[in-house]
Amino acid sequence: MADSTKVGKTFDPIVWEVERGKIREMAKAIGDPNPIYLDREAAIRAGYRDTPVPPTFLTVPMMWSSSMPVLINDLKINFMMVLHGEEEYEYYRDIYPGDTITGIPRVASVEEKTSKAGKKMDMVTVEILYKNQHNEDVAKARTLLVERK
Amino acid sequence: MGNGLYFEDIKVGDALPELSKGPIAKLQHVLYAGASGDFNPLHTDDDFAKAVGMKDGVISHGMLIMGFVGQAITAWVPRRCLKKFGVRFAGMTKPGNTITVSGAVTDKRQENGENLIFCEVVARDEGGDVKIAGNFSAALPLKRG
Repeated sequence: MADSTKVGKTFDPIVWEVERGKIREMAKAIGDPNPIYLDREAAIRAGYRDTPVPPTFLTVPMMWSSSMPVLINDLKINFMMVLHGEEEYEYYRDIYPGDTITGIPRVASVEEKTSKAGKKMDMVTVEILYKNQHNEDVAKARTLLVERK
Repeated sequence: MGNGLYFEDIKVGDALPELSKGPIAKLQHVLYAGASGDFNPLHTDDDFAKAVGMKDGVISHGMLIMGFVGQAITAWVPRRCLKKFGVRFAGMTKPGNTITVSGAVTDKRQENGENLIFCEVVARDEGGDVKIAGNFSAALPLKRG
């Protein structure tokens, strides 16, 4: 079961240089034809400085770093029994190609819940606050991991 | 900047323009794995997926389906206006599913100098099964000023 003594613990920073090609790749993988994600000129015409990142882009630095497996191991969560229950983003500032964003994962809470079917589950909430190279908050990601027992 | 979408024009109950995606091909899982960095073989390797109990093989990345919802939202609300976007993953999506994203405005209010709209969103497959239920808020411009 998830180790509740780890609430409040922070993990190694995720450092990620945002690239225009990766933004385009993400939009294409989703199949999102919105030109602001694909074409710098179209983004500028729409009032952006460059191609902004799609709403779910912050999964990219999180997944390309090994931060989630490290955290799951550290909390002694059974990897085979973990589900992604919820995901939430708060957006504070635009993120553009050339920005370097740094996120610090933090265990926000660990709670045991019982499902309607009477099964016990641990609910682990991880928050990652991302800052840019100017030390400005740009976004927060909140992930709920559900460990079935 | 507002895509012609202004706070004054939005009414509670207004619908988000519906977006239909799919049918999802396994190849899209490969593209999404590379783009996102989520290489869990549950999404790309049928033998692995079957070995861990998925009788039909691979399932879609939940974040891919959230990406569809993000596409629907920012096709309507300008990306820059989006303040918060959260979802609950309610069911597994499989290749072959066609996902339809719909939503509606549930509230609007002016707060701390921002003109906020609050919306609920849902992604369902062709059989009506809910895959994602969530909500978002956005700060829209005013027509005047």
